[in-house]
Amino acid sequence: MKIHFTVNGVPSEVEARPDAMLLDVLRREMRLTSVRETCRIGVCGACTALVNGKLISTCIFLAPMAEGAEITTVEGLGGSHPVQRAFEEAHAFQCGYCTPGMILTAKDLLDENPRPSDHEIQLALSGNLCRCGCYVKIVEAVKIAATRLTWLHHTSSGTSRAR
Amino acid sequence: MSWDSPQWLAPSSLEEALRLRADLGDEATVVAGGTFVGILMNQGFLAPTTLLSLRNVPGLDFIDPSPPTRDPSLGTPLEERGQNGALRIGAMTTHRAVEQSEVVRQGWPALARAFSLVASPRVRNQATVGGVLADADYASDPPAMLTALRAHAVARRLGGERAVPIDELITGYYETSLRPDELLVEVRVPADTECATYRKFRTRSSGDRPCVAVAAAVGRRGELRVVVGAASHRPQYFPEICAMASGRPDQSTAVEIGRRYAEAIEPISDSRGSAAYRRRVVAVEVRRALEDLIDA
Amino acid sequence: MPDPRVTGSIRYAQDVELDGMLHARILRSPYPHARVQRLDASAVPDGVVVLTPDAVRDLHRYGCQIQDQTVLAADEVRFAGDPVAAVAAPTKREAEEALNFIAVEYEELPAVFDPVEAVAQEAPLVHAHHYISENDAAYFGMRPVDGTNICHRFCIRHGNVADGFGQADVVVEETYHVAGAQHAPMEPHAALARWSGDGRLEVWTGTQTPFNLRMDLAGIFGLPEDRVRIICPPMGGSFGAKTFVRLEAIVACLARKAGRPVKAVLERNEEWLTLNRHPATVRVALGARKDGTMVAKRVECWVDTGAYADCGPGVAQKMGFASPGPYRIPHVWVDSHCVYTNLPPNGAFRGYGAMQSIWASERTMDLLAKRLGMDPLELRLRNLLHDGDLYCTGEMMHDVHFEECLRAAADAIGWSENRQGKGLCVLLKGMQTPSRASIVVEAENDDTYTIRCATAEMGQGAHRSIRLLAAELLKVDPERVSFPDPDTDLVPYDTRTTSSRSTYMMGRALVSAVRDLEIDGKRGCGEVVDQGGLDPDTGQGIASSHWHQGAAGAEVDVDEETGKINVRRVHASIYAGRVVNRPGAELQNEGSMIMSLGTALFEGIVFENGQTTNANLSDYNIPASDDMPVLTHELLEREGAAIHGLGETALPPIPAAIGNALYSQGIHVTDLPMTPEVVLDAIDRSSDQSSAVSSQLSGASSNEPDRMRNVARREPDTQGEKS
Repeated sequence: MKIHFTVNGVPSEVEARPDAMLLDVLRREMRLTSVRETCRIGVCGACTALVNGKLISTCIFLAPMAEGAEITTVEGLGGSHPVQRAFEEAHAFQCGYCTPGMILTAKDLLDENPRPSDHEIQLALSGNLCRCGCYVKIVEAVKIAATRLTWLHHTSSGTSRAR
Repeated sequence: MSWDSPQWLAPSSLEEALRLRADLGDEATVVAGGTFVGILMNQGFLAPTTLLSLRNVPGLDFIDPSPPTRDPSLGTPLEERGQNGALRIGAMTTHRAVEQSEVVRQGWPALARAFSLVASPRVRNQATVGGVLADADYASDPPAMLTALRAHAVARRLGGERAVPIDELITGYYETSLRPDELLVEVRVPADTECATYRKFRTRSSGDRPCVAVAAAVGRRGELRVVVGAASHRPQYFPEICAMASGRPDQSTAVEIGRRYAEAIEPISDSRGSAAYRRRVVAVEVRRALEDLIDA
Repeated sequence: MPDPRVTGSIRYAQDVELDGMLHARILRSPYPHARVQRLDASAVPDGVVVLTPDAVRDLHRYGCQIQDQTVLAADEVRFAGDPVAAVAAPTKREAEEALNFIAVEYEELPAVFDPVEAVAQEAPLVHAHHYISENDAAYFGMRPVDGTNICHRFCIRHGNVADGFGQADVVVEETYHVAGAQHAPMEPHAALARWSGDGRLEVWTGTQTPFNLRMDLAGIFGLPEDRVRIICPPMGGSFGAKTFVRLEAIVACLARKAGRPVKAVLERNEEWLTLNRHPATVRVALGARKDGTMVAKRVECWVDTGAYADCGPGVAQKMGFASPGPYRIPHVWVDSHCVYTNLPPNGAFRGYGAMQSIWASERTMDLLAKRLGMDPLELRLRNLLHDGDLYCTGEMMHDVHFEECLRAAADAIGWSENRQGKGLCVLLKGMQTPSRASIVVEAENDDTYTIRCATAEMGQGAHRSIRLLAAELLKVDPERVSFPDPDTDLVPYDTRTTSSRSTYMMGRALVSAVRDLEIDGKRGCGEVVDQGGLDPDTGQGIASSHWHQGAAGAEVDVDEETGKINVRRVHASIYAGRVVNRPGAELQNEGSMIMSLGTALFEGIVFENGQTTNANLSDYNIPASDDMPVLTHELLEREGAAIHGLGETALPPIPAAIGNALYSQGIHVTDLPMTPEVVLDAIDRSSDQSSAVSSQLSGASSNEPDRMRNVARREPDTQGEKS
């Protein structure tokens, strides 16, 4: 069947079986490799994408359910998003396999809660598994991103900034 | 043969959906949020020939504390059960919506908490209230809490509907009393709870499914309900044991109820704990849930 | 340029694609031990390529230390999951479906699932004969015992333990069990094979061991090694899982039959059927004088290597020589047996056997301390090795800082303030010895440099560290130094990327490579060879050209009604010598410690009659961000010191520190993982014990050593093991 959605701002149409998962469609049809196949049961977060602004495990999201949706993967963040930069600055990755999922989840957290505590960060990320064990630096990265985003928000809204 | 592409049906009205249910029964796999169906398909346990999606059916995604309204188009008046102020949640409402709803947090905080503890934010964004009940997964959090809050589900079919208390809806290991021509449309939670608590005991990672979960609530008329989840094939509620307490139990009654629940339960073994271990934890966690109520 | 890991543009082995490639799936035995009576693939649809045992019967056996593997299990399957056939089809779904068309008839055979049971006289044999491999990875004398399930036996004989125990005022003895674990790298195994027109095999695979793999594949197909090429994309984690031959031989056979490239990516549940960490039973007897001076130690290890040895002999050996611990002990006897069972094969896993024996050894130290009425820190300090001391292998210790690591760990958890709920562990761990590393540095025309090196990247940051070292020697900005993915056609030999050796070994090879480049102008080569090794019958020689050293402290409390442990904090002090890539070194410490929490508290593969029952990431948990306690660590450095690898060192001490913290509260656990159920059992026993003690006080006396009853299982019988 034909499925229409927008991925990273680009309207797309794909042909897929109704029992295909969105993960397979994004990887094969859309050639996006940041969404990754790992557990196939929605627990590890390596397949995370934003669907209509909400974090979703694409490995258990039937492709037809994405009809009309706006999908964002980490490729859609451009590379210099404050969260991406913060991850680089904090060295918050090793093999990098879980990193796209972590970045999207961190972004989602900060959109909702701009000043999370360490505990809130750990809780929000607890559904994204990192076997390399980068959680300490990932929490640091999210804090750096939180500070940057708050600063950006203040400057863009015209509040004077401290020099 | 799953080489053949299955059919995707996406009715755009409840009536159409019910008609398809009546025609196809269990030959069509109903897809609400799709998380459970997705997991079963990926693991090779399910290869549907027809998928019946409810995503386009209007009127099933809502959270409403006001009294129920009549819907004459289906012929049978909705049963009101004298529940003014009851919480009504549409079956296609996501877990995340329940977790974040101010209405639920204010009026039914233990329920918001139970929903918030399910899996991960991703799963909660996708999984629905109707779906979690229809799946009847023994380790799920919402069914035990809903049972403790004396909730019931509304199941509709062409030509009628019925209200089913949650503990009568879930009948066994991934089994419900839903008929093949029925769909869950709504869950209703009465507004007469005095205090409630939900405890989720995990033995391993913070993201693990629970070993033992306990939902407990005291109604305004003093009835105590304690429901143990994740320890057996379905949520375990023993009204005769709960009847020992009138209203909030005192400490020694809490201990006794815990002891009797542990004795009465038939626990399962899985990678989270053996049956013997679960039995011991039930005594402790039931007592602790009741202590939460004492302190509330 | 943003890092490709944050943009998602990094390409792993699973992302490699070639035109016309087919997708493979493997058919696996449902039985733990059976004869294959009949296999009929005639019903497999057209367009699907099938590989049956007949097609691979003429290929050579292989195995990195014992040659006990064939490309498919030909006539006999030895574990539930053993590959019996494979298919390749245009899509993964078609390949999956095609497996249903292969009919196999099995005749079940008796099976064994425990290494102690497997050495008993009546145990069924997993392999009738043991053939020693000629692979470079068989770097020490193998000691299989034909006619038994023992594929290697490593011994240390130092002094005379009978005399030693005779001199002891106090002897403590205990038996420990460690469950198997799964590496669970986030990226599953993936390999793609293609045969070129002139019969050369090319394989893209996530592997830590390109040259060992090349050697085994060449051997399988009867090719000269230079007719096989291995290309190593970066791995999405490995931790030892992606070593030696895993999928590559099957994929290569399918590609040869299909005349097209073939790619295999494992499903998650197949990871538990491919390679795991060795379960082990370790018995320790430790004797000391009443002032705490240790005099004798006897250790026996039964190391469950599963149905195929892989590098189990090496793991058993390392487990054996780490077991005495960083202590001066005049009389040491170690027997470490690598034993076959009918379970999935076990192999390299971060720590390489050291964790299992360190658990047993360091828990026993605390048992001894309690018997002596001594502070566990003081007991250790009294016996620790210093520079110039001899280890029980006969080698002299140099550049060792055990005392410093241990004191730092103790301070970090406030040991001197109070010891309730706190535990310590100090360890030594060896590094692959002997080993060889070589590296080439090429000067390009645009003032950049290219490193040709077989070190594989799996997230540990080795490529960055090596680039930083090269940049330092070349006196250029690291951005001018590139390190392409290893390709055996283009890089010189390296033993393998394991054992936390790469930064250290390649760092030294770089020094001579850069010197050579200065002379040549275009290309410089450098090679370093570390000699050494141990006699497997006596354990004497050089175990390690230098030692990985560290210590950890843990602070816990326990919910005594449920047995659930709350780890409040952990600290690791790791000797680094010289840190090259600081963020990378921190990440390795943190990563090891987080992984160790899983080992300590909840990771364990559960088998039932040889079936793996928790082969998914829900039934098998790995640590999540929310599981972290307060986690701190430090990297000890010394001016002028050599780089010390630390990719694994912070893993082994954490479980023992946690176990010792429980013991400080009277809870004696001998098994890993320390699940709440295991802890609750131990709490029950300690209250049984205290009521036994009170009955002792009121009446009879006893000279019984401090021995706790173990969870009911077969206990090893040492009578038959004496040599």
